[in-house]
Amino acid sequence: MERPPAPDRTDPDPAPAPRWARWYVGVYLALFLVCGVAGFEAWPLTGWRLFADARQARQPGFQAVTVDGQGHETPIPFRDLPAGYRGDVQILKGFAALPPARQAAVCRAWAEAVRDRGGEVAEVRIYQTVTDVSRRVGDRGAPPERTLRFTCRPGSAP
Amino acid sequence: MSTTGRPRRARAALRRAEAWLFATGDPRRLAAVRIGLCGLLAIRLARGAYAELATQPPVLYRPISFLRLLDRMPSPETVAVLQALALGAAVLACVGLLTRFTLPLAWLAALPLVAMTSSLGKVVHNDVLLLLCLVPLLPSPAGTAWSLDARLRPYAGRGSAYGWPVRTAMVVVAGAYFFSGLAKLLHAGPAWVTSGNLRWVLYAASDTQPDPNSFALFVADRPFLAQLIAAATLLVELGFPLVLWRPRLAWVFVPAVVAMHAGIGLTMHLDYSVMAAVVLVVLVDWPALADRLFPTGQGDAPGPVPAEERR
Repeated sequence: MERPPAPDRTDPDPAPAPRWARWYVGVYLALFLVCGVAGFEAWPLTGWRLFADARQARQPGFQAVTVDGQGHETPIPFRDLPAGYRGDVQILKGFAALPPARQAAVCRAWAEAVRDRGGEVAEVRIYQTVTDVSRRVGDRGAPPERTLRFTCRPGSAP
Repeated sequence: MSTTGRPRRARAALRRAEAWLFATGDPRRLAAVRIGLCGLLAIRLARGAYAELATQPPVLYRPISFLRLLDRMPSPETVAVLQALALGAAVLACVGLLTRFTLPLAWLAALPLVAMTSSLGKVVHNDVLLLLCLVPLLPSPAGTAWSLDARLRPYAGRGSAYGWPVRTAMVVVAGAYFFSGLAKLLHAGPAWVTSGNLRWVLYAASDTQPDPNSFALFVADRPFLAQLIAAATLLVELGFPLVLWRPRLAWVFVPAVVAMHAGIGLTMHLDYSVMAAVVLVVLVDWPALADRLFPTGQGDAPGPVPAEERR
């Protein structure tokens, strides 16, 4: 953009771009720039917030586990469940704000997915966690501090 | 600075930008971008987990944008039809058959499918850049060269219709990286670089993987290296628009963002390969590269690659 290109003598089509093309590009780039500058999400236009926050060593989070008949806890393996179940982080973040019926429905959906993989689910527990990733035990982080926030009993599989 | 000087300078800058955007272009460059982007779209459509997403329990649905009109993911039947339509149209647009029709059809049919992947509560940026770079091509004569359409209707040469779609896509790519950097500055400030931010990100990423990630731990265990990489990331993102002004800087910035995405893939197991591929498709001057590799003795002298069109 340092300088406009000099007129090309060999150019067989010196006609300028039509007015509609200028409007099309102008409006599109204006929307793109507004979303980018304001951080506004109007998908597929986006604010491009990729890793935008500075993380601290102590990181809050949540953990959802299933509990079998003997009381053993197993973290729900969201990564191994079908793609539709991989929004767990966002759902857990907003879980407390969900109405009780919806909370129960979410627990039921997770329990059924685990049962479909052969797991036994008597209960689903949701813990609030604080992980200090700077505390290392070998190549792994130290276990998080956990506080039980929710317990649901999704019932047996139909 | 006088009060009238600033608006005058702004208008002059706008005029220069407009002259650059709407200058003539090579139909082969536009064709290369069409082939690359439609090829990428076809690969994404063929490999996407849309059928799996369609079976998501409605209670887990977190719709984005126009998908808010639905109370659950589109049905598996709808998804199958959309996927077949979008994939078929993307392949046809890639080879340049009925491009004026197949390219917009591929984009429109792909839109709800890609929106499904972002309806889990988090925007997936990987495919967004691809969709956004295709927007300027939708009404353009992208099938004029290197296409089946061109066999029926040979083209004359450079023209104004072939320049702006490619340059608009270049602005979108540059903007995507610049705004990613800007968001880091606005939300985290200098702490994004100067604090332990990247170390904590990498430790957390390693801890969530089934096995410890030696690449992530190598960087996270070295505070200075982590800060150096964070600074370089911010510098590359904020500086990326310079490639529009000085095309030769693409030699620096294009490999840098490809390396950045490769690094994210190695350390965090996050796949941004489509974004990296879009950067290569849009910013490399493929016809110039072809001329350099296979000189025919015709046409313009070879120019820098990657670069904006030769002048």
